[in-house]
Amino acid sequence: MIFRTPKQAGEWVNRTKKVSFTFEGEEFSAFEGDTISSALWAAGQKVLGRSFKYHRTRGVLSLANHDVNVMVTDGMDTNIRGDVVEVKDGMKLLAVNTSGSVKNDKNSYIDSISPLLPVGFYYKAFHTPRRLFPFWENVIRKAAGLGVVNFDYPRILKRKTHSHCDVLVIGAGPTGLTAALTAAGAGLEVTIVDENAHLGGSLGYNRAGDTSLVSQLDGLLTKVASLPNIKVMAGAYAAGYYPDHLIPVVSDSGINKVRAKSVVVACGAFEQPPVFRYNDLPGVMLGSAAQRLVYRYAVKPFNNGIVVTANDYGYRVAIDLLQAGVKIVALVDMRSAGSVANSAELAKRGVKVYTGHCVYEALASSDKSGVRGAVICVYDEKQNNALTDNKFTLECDGIAMSAGWAPAAALLYQAGTGMQFDYNVEQFVPSRLPNGMFAAGKVNGVYELEQRLQDGVRAANDAIRHLGLQAPQNEAVKHVGSLPSHPYPMVPHPKGKNFVDFDEDIQIKDFVNAAKEGFDNIELMKRFTTVGMGPSQGKHSNMNAIRILAKIRQLPVEKIGTTTSRPFFHPTPIGHLGGRGFHSHRLTSLHDWHQANGAVFTDIGAWKRAAYYPAAGQSKEDAIQTEALAVRKTAGMIDGSSFGKIEIHGPDAALFLERFFTGVYTDQKVGSCRYVMLLDEAGVVIDDGIASRLADDLFYISIGTSNAAAVYREMQRSQQIWLLNIGLVNVTGAFGALNIAGPAAREILSTLTDLDLSYESLPMSSVRESQVAGVQTRMIRVAFVADNGYELHAPMGQMPHLWNALIEAGKKHGLRPFGSDTQRLLRLEMGHVMPGVDTDGLTNPFEIGAEWAISMNKPYFIGQRSLAILTKRSLRKQLVPFTLAENYKGEMPLDCNLVVDGRAILGRVTSISYSKYLDRCIGFAYVSPAQKAVGSTFQIRVDSGTLVTATVVKSPFIKTLKGA
Amino acid sequence: MQQFDVKRIIQTSPVAHAQPRASAKWEVINDMDTAVEYESAAVEEARKKVLGVADVSCLSRYGVKGPNATQWLLERGIAIPTTPNSWTLCEQKTLVLRLGSSEFLIEDQLGGTACSRLASDTARVASVYKVPRADAAFIVSGSGALNMLSELCSLDLREKSLAAKDLIMTQVAGISATVIRQTLNGEQTYRIWCDGTYGPYMWEVLTEIATEFGGGAVGLSKYQN
Repeated sequence: MIFRTPKQAGEWVNRTKKVSFTFEGEEFSAFEGDTISSALWAAGQKVLGRSFKYHRTRGVLSLANHDVNVMVTDGMDTNIRGDVVEVKDGMKLLAVNTSGSVKNDKNSYIDSISPLLPVGFYYKAFHTPRRLFPFWENVIRKAAGLGVVNFDYPRILKRKTHSHCDVLVIGAGPTGLTAALTAAGAGLEVTIVDENAHLGGSLGYNRAGDTSLVSQLDGLLTKVASLPNIKVMAGAYAAGYYPDHLIPVVSDSGINKVRAKSVVVACGAFEQPPVFRYNDLPGVMLGSAAQRLVYRYAVKPFNNGIVVTANDYGYRVAIDLLQAGVKIVALVDMRSAGSVANSAELAKRGVKVYTGHCVYEALASSDKSGVRGAVICVYDEKQNNALTDNKFTLECDGIAMSAGWAPAAALLYQAGTGMQFDYNVEQFVPSRLPNGMFAAGKVNGVYELEQRLQDGVRAANDAIRHLGLQAPQNEAVKHVGSLPSHPYPMVPHPKGKNFVDFDEDIQIKDFVNAAKEGFDNIELMKRFTTVGMGPSQGKHSNMNAIRILAKIRQLPVEKIGTTTSRPFFHPTPIGHLGGRGFHSHRLTSLHDWHQANGAVFTDIGAWKRAAYYPAAGQSKEDAIQTEALAVRKTAGMIDGSSFGKIEIHGPDAALFLERFFTGVYTDQKVGSCRYVMLLDEAGVVIDDGIASRLADDLFYISIGTSNAAAVYREMQRSQQIWLLNIGLVNVTGAFGALNIAGPAAREILSTLTDLDLSYESLPMSSVRESQVAGVQTRMIRVAFVADNGYELHAPMGQMPHLWNALIEAGKKHGLRPFGSDTQRLLRLEMGHVMPGVDTDGLTNPFEIGAEWAISMNKPYFIGQRSLAILTKRSLRKQLVPFTLAENYKGEMPLDCNLVVDGRAILGRVTSISYSKYLDRCIGFAYVSPAQKAVGSTFQIRVDSGTLVTATVVKSPFIKTLKGA
Repeated sequence: MQQFDVKRIIQTSPVAHAQPRASAKWEVINDMDTAVEYESAAVEEARKKVLGVADVSCLSRYGVKGPNATQWLLERGIAIPTTPNSWTLCEQKTLVLRLGSSEFLIEDQLGGTACSRLASDTARVASVYKVPRADAAFIVSGSGALNMLSELCSLDLREKSLAAKDLIMTQVAGISATVIRQTLNGEQTYRIWCDGTYGPYMWEVLTEIATEFGGGAVGLSKYQN
């Protein structure tokens, strides 16, 4: 621990607990509370990573995860962000994105050929010859990305929870803490979030040697801890903003979605690096990073350093470095005016100050593992040029940089905050805040400590008043003093390597080239150069990029604007986003029976349905054909409990149906059933089903499984508009249903009911309420899967009794269950079209030959107006029943195979199956209307590209082919 | 024709699929086969303190809606909550949940008779529509209850937001559910109702989280004296 300083007041490390770990195979020790970066830096390890593109050596830049210089793998876990992740005993760390080792990266040669690899080179270089593209794609894919995905990574549950508060304060620096205390003092329930392990923000490290700040911070923290209505979430970052003040807060344990009544954003600002040649060498770091090293982790950033600054902040950094025992070779102030008072203070402490100068370039040590010096020269602030005539070299082993700030305003942008550029602080600041959002502190353009405290109080009072309580209306706090940010802290260099974006190795010349290519809009430039597109998402680079583009285009900064800010604020593991993974599903009361009888289940809508029941060793196809044959020859029974089931009560029930569906229902007799078809306003077929009239003022509607919830919602919505005298009752879950069908169905059923089941008494499309096996049922004569079919609807809880009674009664008749996959074959044999299977989101009823179900003479029904328009147009496609040739043995067409005529696509197959009963391949397909006549043939292109001839036939297939 | 005694048709809890058939103790309550004990009394008591989940689907329920439903219930001696989205108790601790301006769910506690009395009145009345109920119903209690619900529901279910007689219809674990807070035997509990066909799913979710917290399934008898 060669760089560890004596104990610092307020340090975050616990010196009584040591941890051991390895980095690149080398043993290291650290203190509990160290991050990976601070631990390595304390041990004298300077090369902590390699850059993404050129594989340049990298060390600490921000020590705040505002860059990703330090990304490591620890066994299974990768892309661990070294700046902010606490080092743990036993970690075995490897730097990502290296080939060989971080010190001897075989890919470091790329740096020497970087002139051949300007931004966007790959957009242009590999297009031709086309045959080589797969080769280049492979090379680029290997080069791209950080870390190695471990496919054996275990699923670790990260909970996603919700919480609520009156005021959410984001950022627990002095501004945020003051805001939280003020809001809590008014009795409000406050949550304060900070991404750091400890609260305090810059008050903990931006000291300029003033030790009284430590006690000031302690005082604030003590007050916060004493208030029970302040909930502290440390080590957690507010990851994004969603409407109505929903803020997901990400911590190691998961995501907490905080719903706040108001939000105070006190996120502070990101320090921005000045841009000069080799500003990325290990040992060149932001001033605030140096301060964090000193005061949080008691680590000396370097021994013999230079501070280069373009604001007054660098002077504070210099004093803090002196306090830590660093020798300051010089302070280089890019401003010609410098800071007289601060210069004098430093002069007293023996520090040479060069105003109007810049670091022209940092000089690398021979192995490029650090800094050996810096070339200093005069800086022309007006022209933003280095005047190198009298340049000179200063030896040093580190450089601290301070040039300015960019507001951490991501959440404000996401919330829709209007931002304007304030030249008094050289920063974008909020000009129009959304309702209930408040900004304070540096993000609001307020930098001096006392002013930030006032601004925190002001923002909290604004939030208190927003919530309807009394609070003073404080004056908005305006920044006083020198500019916190330099308008253009860039130092051109003919040899480049003056980095703007450290994630993506982007230099000043890359922006110039992008502009020359025509990408001179900030959004286009971002995408062409990839500035801000690395893992740190522009935290340290976007503001400098905007300034550079403004200079290139000779426009004020506000005319350039900013790029779009999107959640999440930091890269967030997929496991966090996934959470527990809720996969809701519905089971019928017969599920256990199906399971016990070997059903294979399928998901239909939210339901688990029995698809078929294979015998031991039986294939799916055989099982389906066996079940279908049973229905044709003896009897079969299916659990239809998942059907949508809706009761419509009231004197206007029939009228409601006439408006909702396409048919006529006012003259429907009690005890009869009619087909219902639902369209949307565009005339597209949505669903169909059966309306059974149980009484003058009661209809029972059964509809498809998948759309049931949506149909009921639409009914409710329609009723809100129509205000008819009806009541809607959704009984989908309360009632189960089964369908028993086949030649023996009536006989089986007759053993369990005293209802007269004769065809005369119970003809097709009739409904009766009767007891079956002692259960009160609604019995509907339907012909969906067979002509002789009975749907029995009964209370869900009594379905197992009813089902078992039928199974028992049907034993001697060969009754067997069949599943939903078999049902699809059976209904196909019967020639029934299924909405959602044989239709899509554009299909109108004329295309499926459903004119018979439409009564255009009614005053109104949903979709009627569109149908009136459609009737005047010629059809573009038509659904037809078809067969393949007898004894067809070729490749079986599949659902969605195209119907083609040469290169023209005429339609597609919607349903196709082999029917053992009919010994024929049958199906539905959309064809050109010219081909719809019975006997017409058309071509289906199967997956292999072969064309298969199909012939249009009449349906039902069962009648056409079997005469049944 | 084969004869059946409708009174002997025993239903099974809609949640049963997700419950341990072999290890739990089952009893028929209100004609519904129900798991009434999962572990020893001591274990269940301990679970209950941390996070207990009980299946109370077997309690009798009656649903009714329509413009005249309020009047119809009042005429039958049912106390009506004064505002929508609230609940009250009437005789025999029967719960009366007002789900909307004119929709009600009545739930008897063990031994209650209100639901069977209402169900026996089969005469159809204008603008009064019976709503068949087949709910899965749960009681959740213990120190971890709110923590668990914070993962399952985006609404604030704390006492300050969900007042003593408030009722909310919301999403719990991604499905529609009705939630109230109720003090049972001096203990703060949450009552949750959802469609019975979602019952096994809801039970799996609730008990999975409860187990993570050190709680788990608790028999009905722990809440119903």
